Amino acid sequence: MGADPHGRFVDVYERAYEPILGYVLRRCRDPEDAADVVAETFTVAWRRIDELPEGDEARLWLYGVARRVLANHRRGELRREQRTEALREHLASLPAVTHTRSPEEDFSPVGRVFRALPDGDRELLSLVAWERLDTRQLATALGVSRNAVRIRLYRARRRFARALATAGVDHPHAAMLEGSSL
Amino acid sequence: MNLANLARLRDEDLAGQASTAQARALMESIVSEERAPARVAPARRTRRALALGAVAVGLGAAVAIGVGLPGGPATRYANAAVSIERAPDYFSVTVTDPAADPGRFEEAFRAVGLNVTVKTIPVPPDEVGRLIGPVVPAGFRGPGSIGVQGVAPCAAAFCGKVWLPAHYSGRVVFGIGRAAAPGEPYADDRPFDPLGDEALDGYRSHGRTVAEVRDELHRRRLKVGYRLYWTIPDGGFFDQGVTADRIGDGWVVQGSRHSSSDTVDLYVVPGPEAGPAPDPKAVYEAEPQWYDLED
Repeated sequence: MGADPHGRFVDVYERAYEPILGYVLRRCRDPEDAADVVAETFTVAWRRIDELPEGDEARLWLYGVARRVLANHRRGELRREQRTEALREHLASLPAVTHTRSPEEDFSPVGRVFRALPDGDRELLSLVAWERLDTRQLATALGVSRNAVRIRLYRARRRFARALATAGVDHPHAAMLEGSSL
Repeated sequence: MNLANLARLRDEDLAGQASTAQARALMESIVSEERAPARVAPARRTRRALALGAVAVGLGAAVAIGVGLPGGPATRYANAAVSIERAPDYFSVTVTDPAADPGRFEEAFRAVGLNVTVKTIPVPPDEVGRLIGPVVPAGFRGPGSIGVQGVAPCAAAFCGKVWLPAHYSGRVVFGIGRAAAPGEPYADDRPFDPLGDEALDGYRSHGRTVAEVRDELHRRRLKVGYRLYWTIPDGGFFDQGVTADRIGDGWVVQGSRHSSSDTVDLYVVPGPEAGPAPDPKAVYEAEPQWYDLED
């Protein structure tokens, strides 16, 4: 456990802010919403700083928190807070955000198939392809055993491959997952 | 195509964002908040009977905290058993001698304005010294919130923060964990974790039959107790202590937990012969709790 909660939080925030912001922006339709999701995620981290694991594990733990905050947000349970106003404007003006489509707007055949996957499969494959987590890191982020991750990943890949085939996308070389074909 | 290309952006596109004025301002805003306790017991009276998802309860309670907290001038009191310091919105408690007379703890709490009852209660070795509570046996009525949160690192038997409205008039009870004698039942405090509680090293009881787990317990020269693990439609559960004749050998074990140094309670999923679930409140009322017992 780090020395003082304040110093530890600042350290975690500085290391994890960009990965968590990336995680949220990749999953939010509206970049302005991302500001509130990021704020809520780090507020949970501050309140529960005593439970926060050390080192890079903190980032994985925060992915789990952000996932739950996003789910609440999708159910309409997240408030727009005054304190995130400046951040909302800033994110909405980021070139990396304004010049690209949100995942919902990707109408490529692979994008459509990916979007139609069950939520759990999509999140698992996203964590591999977008956050580049390996099996151990996935197990930590999702709070399940490595073996469970391997099984879920195997099934998710298989369902994705089947869905691609059904959609007429040339499989197996059409969609690559971190360099390896499905 | 690579699945990564479906992402709107990569983390590398966000290099330097953590040091923007907006990101720093958000951080300052977050740390300016008083940290709320992670675990509180506002509905202690019914907590054990209906132990709902621990994470959801924890988060909900953390948000609820922060109104009507104790105020007034800071006071400090220390004796050989405990030291208590009154901060603007909580009390810092450091337990130095968990084996001390409960009266020494009550004296210290009283000195900082808290009229509470303290009981030493038998606990497993790893919980000795832990401050348990505050429990309001009649059910906590606001305004305000109650709770305790451990603080680490800690060089004493227990360090933590306690939230309790000043001048609360109801009966408030704290427990201080003491090492249970061999075979002495533990004062059951923590709710059963249906996915995580396993009493035996290197042996998983979850999913096995009662007969199978009982054989393993006997092999290890441990006694067996039984609790029915009833689930309720909204996703919660409660447990009920029963005698061996109420349990079927082929029923499935959900988890196991030491109820004393020589006894393991099996939490058993009721088979069809068990009949309908009882009223959780009646089950709860039927079992005496450590904080209900008069000295």
